[in-house]
Amino acid sequence: MSTTSTTSTTTGGARGAAARTAKDTRTAGRTAPRGSTERRLARAGWLYASPALTLVAAVTIFPILFSVVLSFSEVHLSYGGFRIDGFTTDNYAALAHSSAWFQSLAFTVGFTLVTVALELALGTAAALVLERLGAARGWILAVLLLPWAMINVVAAQLWGYLYNGTYGVVSWAIEALGGGEPVILGRPVPAMAAMAVADIWKTTPFVAIIVLAGLMQIPKDVYEAAEIDGSGPWTTFWRVTLPQLRPILAIAVLFRTLQAFGVFDLPFVLTQGGPGTATQSLAILGYKTLFQNLSIGPGAAVATSTAVLVLGCCLLFLRAFRAQVDEGGR
Amino acid sequence: MRTRATRGWRAYVNVVNIGALIIVVLTTAPLYWMATASFKGTGEISASPPTLFPEHATTGNYADAFGGNSLGRYLFNSALVSVVSTVVVLALAFFAGYALARLPMRGRGPIMVSLLMISVFPAIAVVTPLYLLERSAGMLNSYQGLIIPYIAFNLPFSIWILRNYLLGVPRALEEAATVDGASPLRTVVSVILPLARPGLFTAGVFTFTATWAEFLMALTLNSEDAFRTVPVGMALFTSQYTVPYGTIFAGAMVATVPIAILVLVFRRSVISGMTSGAVKG
Amino acid sequence: MALSRRMLLASAGSVAMTAGLTTACGTNNLDDLLVKAERPPKGPVTIRWWAGKIPARDGGDMRPAIIRAFRRTHPNIRIEIVKGLSTTDGNRVGLTTQIGGGSATPDVYLGDITWPAQFGANYLALPVESLVPKNFWDPYPRALMQASSLKGKVYAFPCYSDAAYLFYRKDLLAKHGLPVPKSWEELERSARRIQRAGDADYGFVWQGSVSESLTCVVTEFLADAGGSVLDRSGRVAVADEPAQRAVSYLRGLVDAGVTPSAVTTYAEQDAMDAFAGGRAVFLRNWAYAWGMSDADGASKVAGKVGVVPRPGFEGRPHSGYACLGGWSNFINPNSENLGAAVAFARFCAEEESQMMLLRQAGVLPAMDTVLDSPAAARTGDPTITTTRRLRLVSRPVQTPYYPQVSKAVYTQVNSAIGGSEPVGGALRAARSDITAALEGKAL
Repeated sequence: MSTTSTTSTTTGGARGAAARTAKDTRTAGRTAPRGSTERRLARAGWLYASPALTLVAAVTIFPILFSVVLSFSEVHLSYGGFRIDGFTTDNYAALAHSSAWFQSLAFTVGFTLVTVALELALGTAAALVLERLGAARGWILAVLLLPWAMINVVAAQLWGYLYNGTYGVVSWAIEALGGGEPVILGRPVPAMAAMAVADIWKTTPFVAIIVLAGLMQIPKDVYEAAEIDGSGPWTTFWRVTLPQLRPILAIAVLFRTLQAFGVFDLPFVLTQGGPGTATQSLAILGYKTLFQNLSIGPGAAVATSTAVLVLGCCLLFLRAFRAQVDEGGR
Repeated sequence: MRTRATRGWRAYVNVVNIGALIIVVLTTAPLYWMATASFKGTGEISASPPTLFPEHATTGNYADAFGGNSLGRYLFNSALVSVVSTVVVLALAFFAGYALARLPMRGRGPIMVSLLMISVFPAIAVVTPLYLLERSAGMLNSYQGLIIPYIAFNLPFSIWILRNYLLGVPRALEEAATVDGASPLRTVVSVILPLARPGLFTAGVFTFTATWAEFLMALTLNSEDAFRTVPVGMALFTSQYTVPYGTIFAGAMVATVPIAILVLVFRRSVISGMTSGAVKG
Repeated sequence: MALSRRMLLASAGSVAMTAGLTTACGTNNLDDLLVKAERPPKGPVTIRWWAGKIPARDGGDMRPAIIRAFRRTHPNIRIEIVKGLSTTDGNRVGLTTQIGGGSATPDVYLGDITWPAQFGANYLALPVESLVPKNFWDPYPRALMQASSLKGKVYAFPCYSDAAYLFYRKDLLAKHGLPVPKSWEELERSARRIQRAGDADYGFVWQGSVSESLTCVVTEFLADAGGSVLDRSGRVAVADEPAQRAVSYLRGLVDAGVTPSAVTTYAEQDAMDAFAGGRAVFLRNWAYAWGMSDADGASKVAGKVGVVPRPGFEGRPHSGYACLGGWSNFINPNSENLGAAVAFARFCAEEESQMMLLRQAGVLPAMDTVLDSPAAARTGDPTITTTRRLRLVSRPVQTPYYPQVSKAVYTQVNSAIGGSEPVGGALRAARSDITAALEGKAL
C-alpha cells in the first residue's frame, strides 16, 4: 500500500486513506503554511473543543483529584463528614503488604487479557459478518445489542440464574452431557471461565459495533484493488482490512481494557469474589475497602493505583500500536 | 440446471449467513431463558430439570414489577436522563472530536491522554466526592444532578471514538469543500457530519446504554424515589434473603425493549453512512 | 502551554475545594448533639426515615402502619419514608456516602444488626444510651444489646430481629419412622438414609457462599461445638479445637454427599429453592423461610414442613443456638431534628410498635416481653413461639473492623468447605487474617 502525500486528491487519497492518517496529521501542523491560517484553524479548534473539554474538566477533575488526595491522606470520619489529617503514604504501604491486593491484581489482569483478546477476535468476526449482510443487518444489530444494553447487575443475575448449582440450565446441560454434578461457581477455574463467558456475551457487541463502524469507512475501491491483485479473502483481511481498521481497533482494545479492568458486577453478583478470594477483582476489593470497611484512605489508594496501572498499560499499548495519540501539535 | 441449483443453495448457505445465524443463536439463547423465565411462576422458575417453555405461563411477574414498584416512573426518569445525556454528549463530542482529529491545536496528545485518564478512574472512587460536590451545589435529587455527571463521564469515550473515526475520513473532502468556498463551520456540518454518522451511531449507542444501565451514581446522587432510575429501581426488587428472578427478568424485559427500538430506528444511519462513504470516498 | 496552565489552574481550584469541603464539616461536638437529641421538637417538623420494606404477613408493608401509630402520640412530627434498598450492601453504599458526606438526611435509618460498632466508631451513628433510662434495654435479648454497642456506648435502637432455625420435611421423616434429629450426627444419619432410599436428592442444605450468611452459619456451629470466633478476652479462637470440629463437620457433610457440593455457592435463596423444590430433607434458614416453605404455589412442600431450634453436637450440653440477625434504627448525627429522630427510633423499639410487628409483620419482634406475651402464642407461628427457647448468639460484631473479620471467616471457611484448603490450614489462615483485621491492617 502506497503512502500518498497530503496533497493528493479524491480516489488516490482514498486508497491509502487510513494508512496515511498518521503521517497525514503529523505533517498537517508542520507543512501547512505557517501564520494566520494555522492560528485561525487552531482557534477554531479550541472553539469547537472547549465546550466538551470544559464540561469534562469541571465535573471530573475535582472528584478524581479528591480521590488521589484521599489516597495520600490519613482520613477519618467525624460528626459532620470527612476529616483529612495530614499526608501519608501508609495507604499505599498497606497495599504493598497485602496479599489480597496482589491476588486481586492477578485475577483482574488475567481476566482482562483473556476477555479482551477473545472479545476482539469474536467482535471483529461478528462485524465482518454484519458488514456483508444485506437487509437483515439492522435487525441482527438490534439483537446483538440487547446483551450490551442490559443493566449490568441484571445481566449478571441472568447468568447467575443460568449457572445456578441446583436448577441452572448450564449446570443441567453439563450434567446431562455426563459431566457429573457441576459446581460451576464454586471452584476457582470454572468460576473464572464462567465469568469470562458471561462477559464475552455481554461485551462482544461493544467491539463488534465499533469495528463495524470502522469497516464501513473503508472505501470499496481498496477491496477492488486487492481483488485485482488476486488476493484471497484471508490475505485481503490481513493485508487490507486490518491495517485500515487500526485506529478503530485501538479504541476498542483501549476502552475494553479499561472496562474489563474495572469488572465489578459479574463477580459481585455471581460469586461475591469467591470461591475464597479467587475472583475478587480490584474493583470489588476497592468497593469492600471503601464501603464495607469504611477504610477511606486505603480504598482511595486501591482505586488510584488501579487507575495508574491501567493508564500505564494503555499508554504502553498505544505506543506499541502506534495509534497516533500524540502526533501533531507537539 | 445443476449449477443454478447450487447457486440457489449457496445464496442461503454461506459463511456470512451461517455466521449471522451463530451470532443470533449465541446472543439470544440466554435472553430466551430470561424471556421464558419472566413468564414462569415461582415454583417453575426454580424447577429442576428446567422447563424449555413455561408450562403454566403467567404474567404475574410483570404485574409484580409494575404494581407496588414505581417501575413506570423509573422508566420515565431513565429515558429522560439517558436521552438528554446522549444528545448533549453527541453534540459536544462531535465538534471536539473533529477539532482534535483535524485542527492544528497545541497539546492534542495530552488532551487525549487526560481524557483517557478520566475514563480510567474507577466509579467507586469518584462517587463520594461527586456526592460532596453536588451537595454543596444543591444538585442532589434532581435530573440535572445525574445528567451532568453522565455527560462528563461519557464524553471522553465519545470524543475518542469520533476523533479516531474522523481520522479515517479522507481529508480531501473538506479541502474540496473549502475550495468551493464553504465556511469552516459549514464544511464541518454539511460534509463531515453526514460522513460521521456511523461513528455518531456508535458513540450514541454506547452513551445511551451506559447511562441507561448506570447504577452507582444513580443510587447515591438521587436517593428520592421520584428521581430514581431503572437500575436502582430493579435493585429494590431484591430483598435481604430472596432474589425474585421472575420479577427481575420481567423488569429487565421491559427495560431492554426501549434500547432495541432505538437501535432499530437508527439502524438506517449505519447503512446510509456506509453507502455515502463508498460513493464519495 | 495553554493546556498546562489551564490544567494547573483547575487543579489548584480543586485542591482548594477539597480543603474547603472537608474543613467546612467536622466541627460538631458530641455533647452538643446529645443535648439537642434530648429535646423533643416543639413546632411541627418533618423527618426522613430511610428504611427498606418491613413485610407484613399479608404481603403488605408495615412501615406506614408504624408511622400512623407514631403520629397518634407525636402529631407534630411528620415522617417521610425514603425507600431504602432491602439488601444490606445496597443500603450501606447509599448511607455511608450520604452520612459520611455530612448530609443531614435521612434523620433515622434502618440498618443491619452488624453495623452499630462500625458505624458508631466512624461517626455515622449517634450514641443513644444516655438518652434513655438504664432499664430501657432490659426487655431485649442480651445478644442484641451486645451487637448494638461498642465500649459501653449503644448506637442503635432495636426494631426487629431474626434468628436461624432447622426446617425439616415432616412427611419424609414419618415415612422412614425417624424422629426429628436431636444432634447433628443424628441429622446426618437420617439424611443419608432418606437419600439412599431415593426420597431426596440432598440431605441438608445451608448457606456456604462467600458472604455474611456463611459467617452466621459458622458462628452457630462454633457455638454448638463450644467455641467462638473471638473468646471472652478478645483472643482469636477460630483455630481452636471446637472450630476444627465445627468446620470439619460442615466439610464432612459435603464429602459425604449429604450437602451438595454446590453449597459453596449457596446464599439463602439457593438453599431455599432446593428445599421448597422438594429436593432436600433439612434446611438451615432464617425465620422468613417458614412463610415461604408453607406458601401454596411457591413451594412444593407446603404443609409438609416442620421447624425446630437447631440441634447440637453429641456430647455437648446445649443445643438451639441461633445466630441473631435483624435490623435496628440508627440516628444520623448530622440530623437537624435529632430530638424527633430519637423519639421515632425509640417508638419503633417500644412495646406498642413491637406488638404491631408481632400481630401483623412477617418479621420477629425484638422485644422479649412481647415474645413472651399470650398474643405471641396466639399467632400460631412456630418461629415466633419457639424464639424464646433459642440461645441467640451474636456474631463478633463488637469491633469497628467487623466487616474484615467476617470476610476472613467466610472466605477461609468457604475454601475449606469447597475442599481447596484443608480445614486446619484454612482456620489458621482465618486466625491470622482476623488478627490483622483487628489491628486495622486488613484491606
